[in-house]
Amino acid sequence: MDSIIRRRTAAYVCRSCIQRTRNHIQQRAYSRAAQPDIYDVVCVGGGPAGLSLLTALRANPVTSHFRIALVEAQDLSKMQSWKLPPDRFSNRCSSLTPSSALFLDKIGAWDHLARDRVQPYHEMQVWDGVSDARIEFDWAPDAAPSADTTIAYMTENLNLTSGLLKRLAQLGGVSVFDSARVEKISLGEQTEAQDLREWPVVNLAGGRQLFARLLVGADGADSPVRSFAGIEARGWDYGRHGVVATLELQGEGWGGDQMKTAYQRFLPTGPVAMLPLPGNYSTLVWSTTPENASLLKRLPTKDFVALVNAAFRLRPTDLEFMHTQSKGQAEEYSWRMEHTPSHGKLIPQVVTGVQEGTIASFPLKMRHADTYIGERVALVGDAAHTIHPLAGQGLNQGQGDVQSLAKIIEYAVNHGQDIGARLSLEPYLAERYATNHVLMGVCDKLHKLYSVGSGPLVPLRSLGLNAVNVLGPLKKFVMSQAAGHGIKVF
Amino acid sequence: MRSSLRHTPTLLRHARAVRPSCWAPMASAVQSPSLGAPALAPASARASSSSSVNPSEISHFNALAATWWDPHGSSRILHLMNPLRHDFISTCRASSPTVTSSTPTGQLRYLDVGCGGGIFAESAARLPSTASVTAIDPSPGVLAVARSHAARDPGLTAEKLEYISATIETLPPRERSKDFDVVTLFEVIEHVDHPAAFIDRCGEFVKPGGWLVMSTIARTWTSWFTTNLMAEDILGVVPKGTHDWRKYINEDELRAHFRGKGGWSSPRVLGVVYIPGLGWKEVKGSEKIGNYFFALQRDA
Repeated sequence: MDSIIRRRTAAYVCRSCIQRTRNHIQQRAYSRAAQPDIYDVVCVGGGPAGLSLLTALRANPVTSHFRIALVEAQDLSKMQSWKLPPDRFSNRCSSLTPSSALFLDKIGAWDHLARDRVQPYHEMQVWDGVSDARIEFDWAPDAAPSADTTIAYMTENLNLTSGLLKRLAQLGGVSVFDSARVEKISLGEQTEAQDLREWPVVNLAGGRQLFARLLVGADGADSPVRSFAGIEARGWDYGRHGVVATLELQGEGWGGDQMKTAYQRFLPTGPVAMLPLPGNYSTLVWSTTPENASLLKRLPTKDFVALVNAAFRLRPTDLEFMHTQSKGQAEEYSWRMEHTPSHGKLIPQVVTGVQEGTIASFPLKMRHADTYIGERVALVGDAAHTIHPLAGQGLNQGQGDVQSLAKIIEYAVNHGQDIGARLSLEPYLAERYATNHVLMGVCDKLHKLYSVGSGPLVPLRSLGLNAVNVLGPLKKFVMSQAAGHGIKVF
Repeated sequence: MRSSLRHTPTLLRHARAVRPSCWAPMASAVQSPSLGAPALAPASARASSSSSVNPSEISHFNALAATWWDPHGSSRILHLMNPLRHDFISTCRASSPTVTSSTPTGQLRYLDVGCGGGIFAESAARLPSTASVTAIDPSPGVLAVARSHAARDPGLTAEKLEYISATIETLPPRERSKDFDVVTLFEVIEHVDHPAAFIDRCGEFVKPGGWLVMSTIARTWTSWFTTNLMAEDILGVVPKGTHDWRKYINEDELRAHFRGKGGWSSPRVLGVVYIPGLGWKEVKGSEKIGNYFFALQRDA
């Protein structure tokens, strides 16, 4: 393995990372031409999953000798230096569970996030928009807010990406091919000396070929690596879009800056969630029909704000009507609110504004790959599974994948296994597939359960929510699960 | 010679019981009908035809060669066992205050006897703590598989891993002069005709302070039931004819053999059980029942 690692570096390193790699890979001139450019790990995709995996491998002394390549379509140096003023927030946020945060801390990335932009929350309010049945995920009144009572950390995806890139740059030793285009992924050839017929070769535009002992597909829902491996991803489209926006609220939340709450209301069109960011800000994730989504994106700010406030307050029929109006939702909302009982502090504070340019939408899908592994191939994150965002688990599932894969690679190295061999990767599949499948099933069923606007299901599901809310120990158990530090049932 | 015979009565009785009934047609190919004695003679005095290896065993494993590296093939159970071999060796080495190594860098030299398709040899060669692995096997078909599989990993350079078509008796002098830190006999001694002599011969290649590490199966009713009846005849997870139960060797027989010989100490044993769906698990005391690892350190 040693001989693979020590190869000439200068020729295949992109301009933005020569400095990063130069210190870490010894230079050695090769007399023979056309030596295959062999890496231990080639990761396609520089999102949170791919970056976390490479950071984990680089941070671990057992795998830090690996020769690693990262292939990414976007310009990563821009991502790394990402910065926004303190009163501006990106519209794509994720809720990181404490176990994901712990993993990021273990690999040394957590400290590289802009921590003043990360918002922990300690309570959740979830209720049924049709029946008003409610579950309050709050801790005992005497529990002071602490790391132990944190349900999750709201984090801008770009903050996470940027933090991971900074940590990776600090660790060094990764050949970064960013702003790169993968032309095709092929297989190697057999020569007199070696037989690379089972080795994936990533062919980049410009002619460079990267041979992979293990090719990691962290390349998203339409994963080219997954297609190369001939792995099908099955599932369905929900016929729903997720509308996101950065909202300005009238205050820091009912509990002030120290005790933040996440709100989610199940509407027949899909759940609408408001998740706290630092200060007076919150992020919106509203799953709704494509028609409603396109209306929301068209509306003037004041009408958009009115519709968002309505989504947490008015009855589904009122909301339905307001979606048929092409404008004037603000007036409609103030009139209807006069006839709606107050919910007090069970609902989020009033939204007063939207940050410019933050309203966007994306289609919601459920996809699960048939397998996560192939010969010299492993899939992580969205390449392996795409989940409904209602539980905010997508990114955390990816982190779970990465944690498991990094652990299994470490075991393989310690036992002399070829990290690309299917046999070495089998435990990764065994560990993650069922876990992800159960979680995806639960979120999918929740979506379907709450898409029903009337009929016998409504009182039944409400009974479920109310019952959970009353039963203290069960609720505590559910919360601990959400926070990722409960007993592992999945 | 005599002392060895005296101290390993069961081992030899066991071997004697096997030969006439089972391997009689092969007797002409294998010298030493009188068991034990010729095998224990110095290597230089032995005829070149002499071998620890039984020809019918060679043909059996030649026939299996094609599926050796199929992760779902007949060798799957061996693949799954392989990590435990490394854990066992690590435990052995860690147990001894005399940490030895034959290279200035502290890396280890391995001799893997009866390497088969190279499951252990390849993995040992990949370890950063390994200087080199010399892997030998008398089955040409199996060794061809081992070589072609190793060619699929450019990390397995010739200096790290070398396959030699040989038995322990015919190992080239160049290799004999090497000091091996670890000599391994994994799932081998139950396939040779003269296990006592074979083990002693392999032991000669261990450098002082180094380890002789082996794994095999205890000769019990349970092992007959699991490895012969269930694994081969009923479940078919192991190819038929792989095991001859009568050649199995018990842990106390190995202990008695080495106690009598002298020059070896710190015997260590680890019983392992294959649990379908869970894999191989360490089970204390199971060395008396089925599969087990056994190792000794050569006195420094």
